[in-house]
Amino acid sequence: MPTWLMLAKGPAFLFVATLVVLALLRLVVLTVWDMAAAIRRAGDRRLPMRQIVMQTFYWLFPFNRLHRNRAAYSFASFGLHVGILVVSFFLRNHLDILKDNIGIAWFSISKPVLDVLTLISIVGVSLLLLFRLYVPASRRLSRTADYVLLLLILNIFLSGYIAGRPWNPIPYNGLMLFHTLNGMALLLVTPFTKISHCVLFPLIRLSTEIAWHFVPQAGSKAVQALHGPEGRKI
Amino acid sequence: MTTPAEKKTDASSQPYFYHLESSTLPGLDKRAERFLAAFEAILRDSNYRFLVELYAKTSAKCGRCASSCQVFQVTNDPHDVPCYRTNLLLDVYKQYFSDDRNWLGWAAPKDTLSNEKIDEMAEFFYRCNACRRCTLDCPLGIDHGLIAHLGRYVLSEAGIAPKGLVVSVREQLEGATGNTSAIPLPALMDNIEFLEEELKDTTGKEVKFPVDQEGAEYIFFPAVSDYLMEADTLMGNAAALHAAGVSWTIGSKYFDGINYGLFYNDWVLERIIEKLVEEAHRLKAQKILIGECGHAARSARQFVPVFAGERALPVVSILELTAQAAQEGKLRLKKDVITERVTYHDPCNIARSGWIIEQQRQLLRSFISDFVEMTPHGRENYCCGGGGGLVSLDETFDFRMQVSGKTKAEQIRASGAQIVASPCANCKKQLRELADYHKLPVQIVGVHDLVLRAIDLS
Repeated sequence: MPTWLMLAKGPAFLFVATLVVLALLRLVVLTVWDMAAAIRRAGDRRLPMRQIVMQTFYWLFPFNRLHRNRAAYSFASFGLHVGILVVSFFLRNHLDILKDNIGIAWFSISKPVLDVLTLISIVGVSLLLLFRLYVPASRRLSRTADYVLLLLILNIFLSGYIAGRPWNPIPYNGLMLFHTLNGMALLLVTPFTKISHCVLFPLIRLSTEIAWHFVPQAGSKAVQALHGPEGRKI
Repeated sequence: MTTPAEKKTDASSQPYFYHLESSTLPGLDKRAERFLAAFEAILRDSNYRFLVELYAKTSAKCGRCASSCQVFQVTNDPHDVPCYRTNLLLDVYKQYFSDDRNWLGWAAPKDTLSNEKIDEMAEFFYRCNACRRCTLDCPLGIDHGLIAHLGRYVLSEAGIAPKGLVVSVREQLEGATGNTSAIPLPALMDNIEFLEEELKDTTGKEVKFPVDQEGAEYIFFPAVSDYLMEADTLMGNAAALHAAGVSWTIGSKYFDGINYGLFYNDWVLERIIEKLVEEAHRLKAQKILIGECGHAARSARQFVPVFAGERALPVVSILELTAQAAQEGKLRLKKDVITERVTYHDPCNIARSGWIIEQQRQLLRSFISDFVEMTPHGRENYCCGGGGGLVSLDETFDFRMQVSGKTKAEQIRASGAQIVASPCANCKKQLRELADYHKLPVQIVGVHDLVLRAIDLS
């Protein structure tokens, strides 16, 4: 293995992974801190926790919801997510990198299964890109970052899949470097983009519920801040 | 600053202009500054900031919410996608307030507060029915209804709010009559006397509308407009309460359940809640009873505990009370009186959260033989099209008829019903206008209108 690839899979990976884990941890800690502060300020601190937890789990496995609205989009998105999670964390090669760098690994899933999941993810991410490009409502919503993230993911899956094929026409090491750099780029942007929902997702519904628990006198204080102690007339 | 209302010919594609109130803030020409000042003041002491920060970080802009929005379903306009609307406000937040703006500012959206952007927010936050149907379909759990509420709140503190809402609230909180319909107390008392006489003629019984009875179990706050427009609903309320055998009263100092603060301003919302609670304590009532009104019931139920603290009283909807009384056998309802086909429209404010969905259906089915459902209904119902206060804004008539209410009109027609029952003053007004506009052969009534027709007090 060339030195630069070893570097990418070794110290560079370790550096990026550490940075990302710390940044994501910071995000979670800050969000939980803010949630706790919000609930302390709220006039009513009762929360329907069971309902919130159920809803959150429901959307982790939204099988009976996918077909109801924008079915193609929903299945594409679900396929992409399953691919990312399973292939990233259960591919032997990935686990070897983890083992080499931090000495931790777990069981892997057989390559043929992961190949299928990878193909599903490639189809999923391609469809999502096409939707963003050609469905007017999606196109209007999309920003550069939305396309860049999808392209990064597509690069990762495509390069990883092609690298493992006997018919791969591209030099293996070069393709692996491309794969690794794209993977690290995706990891690096994770805490600063919408992909941060990978750790914040479990907190969103609970946060929404907390935010509906308004703070007594917050409205009066806002009015006084804008108009002085006398406030304003309606 | 007052922008004239403009009549629209094609409600789906042209922008709306609302009567906007003059601001008491200095610098009327500095809209962006006013907006930012208002946003900052609101974020400072409220619980919105952490949520907006969280939404700004995680909003995937997948657009799945579009498919559940009845406005988008009709217009297909990308601007009507709930997520697009939400991001108008999130972009301002990211540019000016986000925790990360100091070191990730280069990546934040730019020029989020031009005059055009503010106009866009003023228009699209009020094209939203605030029905929160889209929240059922957001995989992440983003509540676009809450962001629309916050957007309207910021706009209102920046001096931009629909005149229809502001004028009503001004009368309720600062006017001589203290209610949104500007009904003076003597007129209310006359009205009550009339209702009692009518009830006697209808039921053959002396059924009272008690006023200022201290120590009653319930203090009753209907949508005050019911006193002007929904006599049958109120008589049905009184008959059901009479049959249930509970003690109740109306307060003479404050008798309006309406709370438009829920639609556009938290400061207003809290002040109205304070009035409810104050009147309940003045009369030493044990519980607050809200009449047939979706937003009044939700605002009281959700925000009395939030704003009243230790002075909070339990909040009950008249639907819950009547359904319970029927279940306990206290209400005798004649089964052969209503022969028409009846359907039920769920007010979003009591159905979306799953609060009151089945209780009133059991009640209606117990005495109506031809009861049919619209599809979908219950928690996933479609809004009448006048939600979020739109029904109170005459300028939105074409929009409500041609766009936001179109799906509901189609649902009603498909049901084949001759009567649509809905326990909400706002829904009923919108549905009646829809029925006229779309030539639907239906009668729009409250749930207690039907109870009144069927109740046996003998």
